[in-house]
Amino acid sequence: MSSATIVRVALGAYLLIFFSYLLGPLVVMSLTAFNSAAFPSVSPWACFSFEWFRVLYDDKHIREGIYYSIIIGVGTVILSVSMGLAASIVLTQIWPRLRSTYYTLIIAPILIPGVVLGISTLVFWDRVGKFLGATDGSFLHDLFHNGIFLTILGQSAFIASYAMLVFVARLQRFDPGLTEAALDLGASHTQAFRKILLPFMRPAIASASVLAFLASFENYNTTTFTIIDYKTLTTVLAQKVRLGINPSISSLAFIIIVLTIFAALAFEASQRNRQRKEAIKQGKQKSGSKGFLPSFMRGNPAAILFVLLACVVIVMISVANSYSAKECKVRVREARQIEIQQRIDALKKARAAKELANPGQSQAPATGDKPANAPSGAFGNVFDPNNLTDETQEKETPGGSGAFGNVFDPTNLNNDE
Amino acid sequence: MKKKMIFSEFFRNNGLGMGSLLIALVGFWLIFLIVLPQLSMLDYSFRFNLPPAEQGGPKDFYTLSNYEHLLYGSDQTHQTYNSVDLMVFVRTIIAAMLVTLFNIVLCYPLAYFLGQSKGSGFVRLLVVLLIIPYWINEILRAFALRIIFGESGLLNEALMFMHLIREPIDFIRQDIALYAGLGYAYILLMLFPMYNVIESLDRNQIEAARDMGASWIQIHRRIVIPHAKPGIVSGATMVFMLTAGALAAPQILGGPSSLWFTQLVYQWFNDSLNWQQGAAYAIVLLASTIVIVLTVMRIFKVNMGDIGK
Repeated sequence: MSSATIVRVALGAYLLIFFSYLLGPLVVMSLTAFNSAAFPSVSPWACFSFEWFRVLYDDKHIREGIYYSIIIGVGTVILSVSMGLAASIVLTQIWPRLRSTYYTLIIAPILIPGVVLGISTLVFWDRVGKFLGATDGSFLHDLFHNGIFLTILGQSAFIASYAMLVFVARLQRFDPGLTEAALDLGASHTQAFRKILLPFMRPAIASASVLAFLASFENYNTTTFTIIDYKTLTTVLAQKVRLGINPSISSLAFIIIVLTIFAALAFEASQRNRQRKEAIKQGKQKSGSKGFLPSFMRGNPAAILFVLLACVVIVMISVANSYSAKECKVRVREARQIEIQQRIDALKKARAAKELANPGQSQAPATGDKPANAPSGAFGNVFDPNNLTDETQEKETPGGSGAFGNVFDPTNLNNDE
Repeated sequence: MKKKMIFSEFFRNNGLGMGSLLIALVGFWLIFLIVLPQLSMLDYSFRFNLPPAEQGGPKDFYTLSNYEHLLYGSDQTHQTYNSVDLMVFVRTIIAAMLVTLFNIVLCYPLAYFLGQSKGSGFVRLLVVLLIIPYWINEILRAFALRIIFGESGLLNEALMFMHLIREPIDFIRQDIALYAGLGYAYILLMLFPMYNVIESLDRNQIEAARDMGASWIQIHRRIVIPHAKPGIVSGATMVFMLTAGALAAPQILGGPSSLWFTQLVYQWFNDSLNWQQGAAYAIVLLASTIVIVLTVMRIFKVNMGDIGK
């Protein structure tokens, strides 16, 4: 039996490692959104604050990026879902010998690196413009060098493959006899498509649209080449992150994470609810009316979590409107000043004590309350008081090997005085 | 002759209107979005970077010079190799392979666990937890890792707090952050195909093997892995292609001195404005990754049809 426990412990440890690798960075990033420090960090925690959300909200580029991302997303959804649907219908009817070649062709865009797709789209439409003799400033030239137009085409090239996969899975359960029956009863092909196939595909169309929109919204590799002089949210973010990071990006990430969790919980809750209703319909489960929870939450942890999370978010927003980190910031600044002052005082005391003693310098420094030498600390031994006195003796030595160099070296401060 | 018959049958099945709409949509996608753009990029890569006035003139003929640049650099005599770009290329391919292997090893146990323990609430919770990071922007995920791996980031602070190190480690310059970020970026594309195939494995097979006295390793080697092979290869293909073609993670997490091959392509396009050279590099990337993927698929006897399931 002990081997079973070993397996269980190993499994637990493995799950813990896997999920902390997957979720840990997101948690840390979310936390940095609430730290008032100008560099996104958690460990020297300054103040709890909502100011980065304000900075984010005021950021014109990000708002513009979101706007264009949505436009491009909608265009991509329309184009890629219709192409994916058409491709999946053709796949069910194509000549068997052509089938595998055709499937390779329509699945290939998933495997082509996004960079390559972006470049080829850019190059191809530039070429088409030249071929059609479009001159600078003409409508066609502008269209073929328009970032939104090119990005929709470039993204649809591979997002249509994702949509196609969703449709193929659903089409496998479609009974072609239904369409044939409709045709026999005198429906036209268009009618049969609209009245039979389309309603059957509706759930798949919905999920393919969501998938396509999200894929478009977060695409970077293709977009960065095809967008030219417009910007989407991802290109704005990439530029910001590369130029210098600040916690307003964390706050955006936090908002996206919360929205994602909401969506996931809502989906899970509605599925459970449907399952439960079906179970009740089949008489497997009593619809019992006991308990104080409303019916949609009963036996449905996802729904309970959803409501709880919504409450937390509402509380947070209302707190954010009234809460101000000003006091805390003042306190942090004061604390830092006091700390610096103390260090200056200690230094002065040490110097005075040394002057009292004779110039024989090899002796231990005079002030009594010194900690033992522990050079392995986090800051090297910059803060070690022994170190400070040594440096005052040998004035210009470039000491301080710790994390902060000798920024906090009191000699620096003293020289300023 | 045969093709005509197929087409007529197709139109008989779908009607003229619907049939031509379907053909038009699929044709537009395949021809104008996939095949012709790739061909025109290929064509571009064999041309010189000429000012607009000279295009189509006598100087505009096909050349291999863009490909020679990758091999020999700007050296016209072909005496020395372009070691910088070639090193970047080799490093990209090898690192992408290692990242793929790392993802297989890390995902297999979880896929097995999720696939074989059916339906409990805990497993459903885990699946929901897995899906959440999948919808977070690639750039934001790279940003999250940068916060952790930065010089005064969480990891350095934690290690120094525990007295494991005395000075901060520069994870970014040593590319540790880059590899962690690449491994992180596409891990779920490895997990889900694996999970899908393992879920379809009949548990009775495993139990039968166990009853017959098969060891733990034998069960996996003889039963689970052969069954999961299409899923593993499909996930590995996607992870490898996406890692080799990644741009965001190297731009954000890469050290200042180390480049990813896609960054070279990006530089040719956006900094040097030499589209022809960039197209040649992109073709090299595309061709070499496809060759590698097809070789691996041939070795493991997996069909293209298994991809994306």
